[in-house]
Amino acid sequence: MNLAYTFAYYPGCYLHASAGEYDMSTMAVCELLGIQLIELDDWNCCGALEASNPLTLSLSARNLALAEKEGLDILAPCSICFNNLSRANNAVRGGGRTKTIINKATGENYQGEVEVRHLLDVIVNDIGLDNISNAVKVPLEGLRSVPYYGCLTIRPSDVSKFEDPEIPRSLDDIIEALGADCLQFKHKKDCCGGNLLLSSEDFSLQITKEILSEAKELGADCVTVACPLCHAMLDYQQSKIESKYDIVIDLPILYFTQLMGLALGLREKELGLNKNFVSTVKLRRR
Amino acid sequence: MLENPDVIDASNLDPTFKYDISTQLGGENIKRCFQCGTCVASCPIWTIDEGFNPRKIIRMALLGMKEEVLSSEFIWFCSRCYACYEQCPQDVRITELMGAIASIAEREEKDGNIKIRSTKPILDKAFVNSIRKYGRNFETETIISGVLATKGIKGLLSYVSDGFAMLRKRKLGFRPEKVKELGQIGGIFEALEEK
Repeated sequence: MNLAYTFAYYPGCYLHASAGEYDMSTMAVCELLGIQLIELDDWNCCGALEASNPLTLSLSARNLALAEKEGLDILAPCSICFNNLSRANNAVRGGGRTKTIINKATGENYQGEVEVRHLLDVIVNDIGLDNISNAVKVPLEGLRSVPYYGCLTIRPSDVSKFEDPEIPRSLDDIIEALGADCLQFKHKKDCCGGNLLLSSEDFSLQITKEILSEAKELGADCVTVACPLCHAMLDYQQSKIESKYDIVIDLPILYFTQLMGLALGLREKELGLNKNFVSTVKLRRR
Repeated sequence: MLENPDVIDASNLDPTFKYDISTQLGGENIKRCFQCGTCVASCPIWTIDEGFNPRKIIRMALLGMKEEVLSSEFIWFCSRCYACYEQCPQDVRITELMGAIASIAEREEKDGNIKIRSTKPILDKAFVNSIRKYGRNFETETIISGVLATKGIKGLLSYVSDGFAMLRKRKLGFRPEKVKELGQIGGIFEALEEK
């Protein structure tokens, strides 16, 4: 077992439910690239965007404590989980009152030894773009994609430390390494408004409409994302946006692991491409 | 009594409000704000509704306009995108600050001092209840109970086709995933409630 690429896998709640295709494609791509994922035993919800700060940090810290006992770093594909686990890690490492509150709440004695890594970070910076290019079996020549980073994958930079919050590159680089064309996308770092979907639906849909409209105008064949909430807004809510604003978007939204899987020669079934709401058939037939 | 309603009546201000905020997790840096407005310029919600103005909310809080801030619906409009947090030259950590203010609003409502004008905390509670019960979010139940509590039966029915679409894609389950050490999860909740 190559320990360099072995992680405690933290799927989080979305990947075990509405973002099942992200879970499937993550595991398939990681296996192919030699990243060993051992699901963190008895992991709990990180608190997502819904729990208040002390609760989120404490819930997240329990997962960190579990990983510390296993002696593994955590790999999280979901940007919300990644943000919360990393914030909890920062809080514990900062020591003081917050660390005391957290460890008292969990009943653990977590010392901040675990690294929390986003899947995107591990693939781009540990595996590397050259190895990705070399693994490509079906170059995505002629495919035009826009990278959409959203918020928590890249911000705040004292939490998400692997990217430049102003000029993120990792999704751009992956798209290009797979042989596809990466289009310049002004909305790449903008918020999808997903956190407000149920409480202020009009806000969320309007923000996401702007993102989708630019991608459509650019003539993209698909949008590439790295977060289940971004995906839910751009993919699942797309038909609602089309009918609300009387526009046609019809743009497939792919997790970057699904896009990678297509180029690496993985089967559609392994990538969960039939689970996306906006049909990916056009892309698959290319 | 002031005749002009736009004028702030200093006798109604609570100067201790900022200290209350700064002792909350996430609210520590509120007093650093020097009102430059960089947060407003970077806010995606402000571009849609100028009523959500983080600078104004912070200024009101610093002045001690406790009731106005806590009962304002705008404090629930933060999408938690961290754009302002990233840009703020004074490291006020506005995203975390908004969370701290929201927590105080929930506490004050519980004590009967204010009335919250947003469904956001009720929806959030449905999610948090799921964590307490199972240790993980059981999406199906969270969405149903959250929508039912905020939009009633009629509201829930408007989501039926969405729900079936999710079920067809096998994106929603009928059974929750449960954490084995549920006692430890309950302990986290209890420890934080005692505080």
